[in-house]
Amino acid sequence: MIRLLKKLKYPGRWSLFRSDDRLLLIVFAVIVGICSGLAALLLNRSLETMLAWLHHYRVYWWAIFLPAAGAALSSLFLEKIVNEGAGHGVPEVIYAVSRYGGLLRLRSGFSRLISSCLTIGSGGSAGPEAPVVMSGAAIGSNIAQAFSLNDRQRVALVGCGAAGAIAAIFNAPISGMVFAIEVILGEWSTMNIIPIAIAAVAGTEVSRLLKGNQIAFAHRIFDIHFHDILACVGLAVFCALASVLLTRALRAMHHLSKGVALPLWVRAAIGGSMVGAIGYLLPYVLGEGYHAIHKAIEGGFSGGLMLVTAIALLKILATSLTLGWGGSGGIFAPCLVIGAFVGLSFHRFMAAVWSSVIWVNEGCFALLGMAGLISGIMQAPLTGIFLVIEISGGYEVIVPLIVVSTISTTLCHYLEPASFYLKDLVEQGQLLRPGTDARVLTDLSIQELLETDCICVHPDMRLADFLDIVKTSHRNHFPVEDRKTRNFLGMIHLDDIRPYLFDPAMHNAVLTGQLMNRHVKSVSLHDDLSDVLKKMNDDHIFSMPVVSDNRFLGMISKATLLDQYRKELMVQTGRF
Amino acid sequence: MKLSMRTVAGALDLPVSTLDRWIRQGRIPIQRSGADAVFTHAALKKWAATHNLSFSLSGEKADDQAPEALDSLVSAMKRGKVYRRVFGADATAALRSAVDCIDFLAEDIRNELLEKLIERERLASTGIGKGIAIPHPRDPLSRPPEAPVITTCFLEPPVGFNAIDDRPVFVFFVLISPTLQHHLHLLSRLSFCIRDREFVAFLGRHPDALDLYSHVAGFEKQLDAL
Amino acid sequence: MAQRLFHIFRNTPLGRETLLQSIYFCQQMGVLPTVYIPEATKFLMYFENDVVQVDLDPSYLNDPETALTHAEHLLKAAKMKPELFTPKNFTASTLPDIPTNFEFMCCPRSISDLSSKIGLGYIGPRVRRIIQAARFPVLITSPVYKPWQRIAVFFGGSANAVNALRLGIRVATLTNLRLDIFTQAGKNDPSKYRAIVRDAGLEKSLENILEGWTFFEKKRFEDNLYDVPHDALVVLGAYGHGIIRDIMFGSMMEKIQSTISNNLLIAGPKYTVIA
Repeated sequence: MIRLLKKLKYPGRWSLFRSDDRLLLIVFAVIVGICSGLAALLLNRSLETMLAWLHHYRVYWWAIFLPAAGAALSSLFLEKIVNEGAGHGVPEVIYAVSRYGGLLRLRSGFSRLISSCLTIGSGGSAGPEAPVVMSGAAIGSNIAQAFSLNDRQRVALVGCGAAGAIAAIFNAPISGMVFAIEVILGEWSTMNIIPIAIAAVAGTEVSRLLKGNQIAFAHRIFDIHFHDILACVGLAVFCALASVLLTRALRAMHHLSKGVALPLWVRAAIGGSMVGAIGYLLPYVLGEGYHAIHKAIEGGFSGGLMLVTAIALLKILATSLTLGWGGSGGIFAPCLVIGAFVGLSFHRFMAAVWSSVIWVNEGCFALLGMAGLISGIMQAPLTGIFLVIEISGGYEVIVPLIVVSTISTTLCHYLEPASFYLKDLVEQGQLLRPGTDARVLTDLSIQELLETDCICVHPDMRLADFLDIVKTSHRNHFPVEDRKTRNFLGMIHLDDIRPYLFDPAMHNAVLTGQLMNRHVKSVSLHDDLSDVLKKMNDDHIFSMPVVSDNRFLGMISKATLLDQYRKELMVQTGRF
Repeated sequence: MKLSMRTVAGALDLPVSTLDRWIRQGRIPIQRSGADAVFTHAALKKWAATHNLSFSLSGEKADDQAPEALDSLVSAMKRGKVYRRVFGADATAALRSAVDCIDFLAEDIRNELLEKLIERERLASTGIGKGIAIPHPRDPLSRPPEAPVITTCFLEPPVGFNAIDDRPVFVFFVLISPTLQHHLHLLSRLSFCIRDREFVAFLGRHPDALDLYSHVAGFEKQLDAL
Repeated sequence: MAQRLFHIFRNTPLGRETLLQSIYFCQQMGVLPTVYIPEATKFLMYFENDVVQVDLDPSYLNDPETALTHAEHLLKAAKMKPELFTPKNFTASTLPDIPTNFEFMCCPRSISDLSSKIGLGYIGPRVRRIIQAARFPVLITSPVYKPWQRIAVFFGGSANAVNALRLGIRVATLTNLRLDIFTQAGKNDPSKYRAIVRDAGLEKSLENILEGWTFFEKKRFEDNLYDVPHDALVVLGAYGHGIIRDIMFGSMMEKIQSTISNNLLIAGPKYTVIA
């Protein structure tokens, strides 16, 4: 029995998977896809139930405190029960993928589901997608951990989890795939794409079996003309502006709430009640807002330019209040809502200015706006394009969609160099995409670059004795260490003492201790390689001694670094 | 074929810690048995080729890469033999008669050797003073002997050789080596001997072969003790 | 290379005892203590195939103003250079990552539960996770500072026990202390255990340091533990090969930790011998 379990625990050793792990990854991709799909559906269902249950109370004035209660509860849950920080989790997934081979905690598999359910279900303006992505990724990671898979396989399964989750929640397999690769992994390789595609399919199938195959936002057929495409350029500009506004507002709120000296859950409650107040006036901004999107795309949204613009702006405010003040949830769904209303308001504006032109239905612009915002915020144009195509089930909008997505991404990139998900990581220098310089330098450690072929000398040696050592060494550097304590004292570099080498009079008169450079800069074994390189570049030196606890361990030099760096890069970027 | 971590790391010219990390990150093909990683030779070789990495087990390496022990002066001298009463009217003639003594080389190689020796003398004299010259070709012969050779020729009478101290030369050490490395090695050993004033006086007595060998062997012992 | 012991400082009298114990261990072994004075109650440790979140008991953050001076004072009194650890990487802003490339780590019996729970027979869930996942041996301190004058290795014959014995030999050689081996013979003959040691190639290194090899006679393992000297550092493996043992420690380890209050140096299932 135990033997069977043990065998199950290490599937990498089965003869079926031994020759190539592709098959193993495919099998696990199916499992992970199904699990994360189920997690996504679970959140979706519970949100629907909660919204329906609370719907009756929205008419009362005290309903403005519902989001406050939800946000406070979710913050308490995260802080006290599962002990996790707030936030939507996607940067955490990317961080784990880039630094620790996708190691995620088991508790992340469910914590965000519950907390975001509390926040969004009570009316907070946030999206369920990021929490679902986090859960899916954590499920994938923990399945990989349970079966002792290696880093590369684990990262692939983390991607599978994210893909399955997105695919299930939107019934959109391509978007799930593209999102996992474009945003989470940042690496296009066949090794990853195949399992991720399979997980996306599995996730979608789970959702179709349990929820039925329905397109999220069905719409009528649009008749798009050339002038509509021209107008898209203008729409893209507005989308980009809205994206930047949302990003900045979120961060500003975050900083603002940090400055308030109150417990986290009180802060969340303050944000929540403000959202509640806005929602009391304009119920469209509450929750994940799919209902509002439906209305916008169908083209039957009543209300003029002012109202639509106000909804877009207030949604931005509500989202930043919810998330910035400590609620839990993602920005995916709010982006879709904001995008839809930016599209609508742009359409109203155009119709007012050029009233003689026959524009396409406003639903089309709502769709385009959604793609524009998604692409802008995440700076992931492909995800935006495929998501909107899949959730609207219309292929005829592809041309303006591409125009809006790419222009919006470019403009946002110009205004905000790093996307919303990556901003914090980039600021901390923790965005380590595979095959990049930062990644190679993080993976390599000083231990691996240590050159140990230096010969140590003692400070009380005569120059003549030292010269005998020089004869047998093939290095130009000689560390000097104390004879008794073996403490590192300094370095002798042949270049520094060349004038005395050929002067026999000096040979017996000078001790090595007098020749050495005592103020040599050294690095320690656990320093970051990028810092070491920076030091070398600043001082124009090619090698440095590695000293730890006053002991000389070896040299680190740019020559060895290049050698190892190349190998590392070849192995990282090469096809497996 | 099963390979250990250390062998594979050596074959890829990597520290073991890097290999360890690559295994953890799943970058290198392995199979696990228990806690140990098992490498298969064929899979590794294929993998290394697709990643442009060099992979060579130390067993596959050709032996010539290992630095072979360099020869001693005495054995080179024994191979080259000692000739006394070699005659030459001038420098070129002396060189010719010295080369004629070297009978273990084929005729054409001897001609090539003479040409190269004369060419080398034209650049700068190999007479290093104190009546001693070390004629040698500038680069190895086209078909050099397998081991380095030093042929000692005592000249009678001494010949003017444009030596640095302008003294006539009474002994040639013709140095023929298969590689430059051998050449430098023997040259440095020979010059160590010649630095000794008593040795030069001893050479001046035109000693016979056995005497010379034992003397030089004594010097070499000193050198090896250093 | 300087080996390091990772110690999380708890700014309470209990934490002082623990740090004193760590310092004693470091002095004996020639290891450098690296002290972490936590600023948040939680941190993450990323191991090879596991990530452990440690939620510290709030008493770790007691009186943060004096924590640094207290820790430095203790280290300086022992003539050790205080090396403090500051986390470089953060998973989330309040969630620092603690590297796991130390050679040793010191844990009290519990780091996430209230210290009032600390007692015999109780090892906290986080400490267990760390032992299960770590490549380094974990020093579990006795409740009060207790110097040790000898090494006691529990040897049960498994692969991990051989690792623990290796660790014990290393400690004994570094500290110049005598080493005792204890084995619950049970059904097997003592010669079988000696054969295992011989096959592992440890006989020679044992020659000079081995004080004695005791084979317990009494049937109940706990009854025999009185024979273990009170001033010994107990080295043992947490037997965990196989799926069930991944969750539980071996039964011997459980019995030992619930019976004796010596300092324990535990080699987990992932423990790798440093060459």
